[in-house]
Amino acid sequence: MMIAILAMLATGKYLDRTRARRHGAPSMVGDVRGVSAPNFDLATLDGRRVKLSDYRGKAVLLNFWATWCSPCKVEMPWFVDLQKKYGNDGLVILGIAMDDSESAKIAQFAHEMGVNYPVLLGTDKVSEDYGNVEFLPTSFYIDRDGKIVGKGTGLLGRGEIEANVRKALASPLADVNKAQTSSAQAHDAKAPAIAQ
Amino acid sequence: MIRAWAFPLCALLLASFALSQEPGFKVPSVTLAPVGKVRVKAGSSATVELDFRIGSEFHINSNKPKSDVLIPTALKLSSAEPVSVAGLKYPAGQEVSFPFAPTEKLSVYSGDFAITTVVKASAKAVSGNYPVTGELRFQACDRSACYPPRSIPVKFEVAVEGR
Repeated sequence: MMIAILAMLATGKYLDRTRARRHGAPSMVGDVRGVSAPNFDLATLDGRRVKLSDYRGKAVLLNFWATWCSPCKVEMPWFVDLQKKYGNDGLVILGIAMDDSESAKIAQFAHEMGVNYPVLLGTDKVSEDYGNVEFLPTSFYIDRDGKIVGKGTGLLGRGEIEANVRKALASPLADVNKAQTSSAQAHDAKAPAIAQ
Repeated sequence: MIRAWAFPLCALLLASFALSQEPGFKVPSVTLAPVGKVRVKAGSSATVELDFRIGSEFHINSNKPKSDVLIPTALKLSSAEPVSVAGLKYPAGQEVSFPFAPTEKLSVYSGDFAITTVVKASAKAVSGNYPVTGELRFQACDRSACYPPRSIPVKFEVAVEGR
């Protein structure tokens, strides 16, 4: 029995690794804490390009959502509040819209929801890179060093989301970043604006 | 000897696939119950009921969801001469509140639901079997997450009795 269980676990891990090799990236399946968040280059609703690497040194909450996802709507006002509350501490929230609809419709929806953070247009590639995001909402919490410190699938409570945000903000690089204020300010000048 | 190992081996492989998936990963299912052959005389019509079953734990939007941004359940059917399909009738959705939006009522289908359509054979139809094909598009959610829109194939056969 023990041998069978061990064999099952080994086969599962092997399949994970095979999948990861196929995509040329670390496995994003299962527990992804400690894994480097895959970089991306996505269009914003207003036509700019945004890379995750633009935000190195910031804590990032990466939220996959869609206009047709009712649970996603529940989280959005919380994200608006969290962006206001922790923006000065270095939190950046990025919404990745997984809709097939036109960007104008997504923009209208985001406007109606009072979204105060960048909304990016999702692609199959970014979904694949993040472990095939199959259900929404799904959020990744990324520390200032670009490592994933938490993942939430489905609607979480606001308290749990905020706890993950604090974890992302409290990364070991935080003190280093404070010491490198001048460099961070230079980075901010280049990074895309948070407000839409 | 091989037979003795076949079952444990299959179970092992299935369990391995399950373990390699995301914890809590589920795939919403909507299935169409088998549709018997629809018999129609040339020049007349028949009503066909298509029975669908939604996997437990899931719901899908009705054909008339309460918001423009929600994706309605929609059936598209096509047929070739001498058979035509028309008059799709969707059931009314159940108005339900979910934990993710307790103050909002959504119009959804859950469990079993049926869509009816009318199949007509033209007056000059020649006897024979004619396929009707199409797809049901839906977008499912459970109590805390939503899943991308999907489509399932729909197919049944119409037996026409010519004059």
